Amino acid sequence: MNMLVPGMYVAADSALHRLDPRVKMGAALLLTALPFAAPGLSSTLLISVFVVAVALLSAAPLSALLRTLRSVFWLGCFMFIFHLFTTPGQPLVAWGTMTVTREGLLAGGMQIYRLCLLVIVASLLTFTTSPSQLAHGLESLLGPLARVGLPVRELAMVLTIALRFVPVFFEEIEKITKAQRARGADVRSGRPWQRVRGWVSVFVPIFVKAFRRAEELATAMEARGFRGAQHRTRLIELRLTRRDLAAALFVLAVGAAALGMDRWM
Amino acid sequence: MLIQVDHLFHTYTPGTPLAHTALRGVSVEISAGERIGILGPTGSGKSTLVQHLAGLLEPTDGWVWLDGVAAHERSATARARRRRVGLALQYPEDQIFERTVFREVAFGPRNLGLEEAEIAARVRWALEMVGLDPAAMVERVPFTLSGGEMRRVALASIVSLRPEVLILDEPTAGLDPRGREELLARVLAWQKEAGATLILVSHNLEELARVAERAVVLTEGRVVADGPVRQVLSDGESLRSIGLDVPQPVALLQALRQAGWEVRTDRLLAEEAVDEIARAWALRMGCRRESA
Repeated sequence: MNMLVPGMYVAADSALHRLDPRVKMGAALLLTALPFAAPGLSSTLLISVFVVAVALLSAAPLSALLRTLRSVFWLGCFMFIFHLFTTPGQPLVAWGTMTVTREGLLAGGMQIYRLCLLVIVASLLTFTTSPSQLAHGLESLLGPLARVGLPVRELAMVLTIALRFVPVFFEEIEKITKAQRARGADVRSGRPWQRVRGWVSVFVPIFVKAFRRAEELATAMEARGFRGAQHRTRLIELRLTRRDLAAALFVLAVGAAALGMDRWM
Repeated sequence: MLIQVDHLFHTYTPGTPLAHTALRGVSVEISAGERIGILGPTGSGKSTLVQHLAGLLEPTDGWVWLDGVAAHERSATARARRRRVGLALQYPEDQIFERTVFREVAFGPRNLGLEEAEIAARVRWALEMVGLDPAAMVERVPFTLSGGEMRRVALASIVSLRPEVLILDEPTAGLDPRGREELLARVLAWQKEAGATLILVSHNLEELARVAERAVVLTEGRVVADGPVRQVLSDGESLRSIGLDVPQPVALLQALRQAGWEVRTDRLLAEEAVDEIARAWALRMGCRRESA
């Protein structure tokens, strides 16, 4: 693999890695919602400082973290342009009916900034939490919903398997792309129809392989006597430690402070 | 085509916790028409090296020259050079995507921009070369073939490019013994006829002994031996030190030698070893008769 795929787990031993996945997931949810709920400048600053501090604690390489922002580049551009032209206020430039306002520029910039924060927080979660931990956390958080008939454990299993195969999938794409390039396929350059042909030659084998793998996995699970999720015991038992509680409280405090700042400052 | 690998380094995912250096200063020169075997334990950088030879990777440091042009460059000359190199990656059947065997094998020649008649001729020729019957195969759906047939179709789809340099990365992994031998015999016959360069990556030492003239041994991303296959593969001490074994005929001859037999130990193939043992046996019997 030549790149860090957004959403890929990076095994390491940091304070953030050791945290209970439920705390991390809750914190991530709060931190992604907060910039939108507390839109003020000072609260955004507070949240940014906190996110940077968490990133430093995560042992994730900064460059890799920043590279995950590329995945929302076009979305960011779209949002910026949208805000640029639709926010009423003091006009800066005007072409016909289109007006760029000072407020629009500011709002667009803030929107991009919030989007970046969101992506960084999500990447920090997946960088520091293994797929199985994520699934266990989700299972535990959604646990109460099992009473109303939601197949929580099965969903967690599906999620674990899906996440587990994300890196495999990317590796596979890379391998097949190389193989077809060696046969003269144009995937990166060349005329459009050549590129389309090139991509077909990559994606057909990927899908074939994915289906075959799914079948093999199902057989392997059945061969080991996997029967749904009833009465299963787990290797990893999640238990909240004092440190987890402290971290959760701290995140809540930051959230409250950010909301408070907007109201009273 | 002359291939020069000059102090080649390759690091995967540099600058991340997953960074992994696969090649650490590899230098090799491969002349036109050579038959080279590349061997080494798992993770020694063999596959990374051959992907560099086909210009599929960008060196972290160092150079790969194909007739004096950097292999990974985007220029038209570099692309023309790369087209003269054919590479079959490990498990090449994974790359099959077309609806018929004909279209699959024709994919490469079509990318070369050849005429239909030439493409059809090449498909037939390539299928024959890997030991498949063109008449029976061309209309079949590749995904319904057996594993061994799919492997051959995939190899045919590389061979149909008529490369000057053919690189096969573990081409016989997962094939049955007869399939292995037949495939290698055909590749060898083609190589001799076409005068092409053949680069074979393999764990299977008997296989290398049969096909290659020269052996390059990699371990931990470095070249630790490079020389005539007979010499490299009979050097038990060096091979064992990096976790490989000598070919079985060599092991047998070495054991006989330790038991006091007058045998040469650089006989790599089973039939050569049989001859060597027969010769030594005749000699011993002769001595005994004389002394009696």
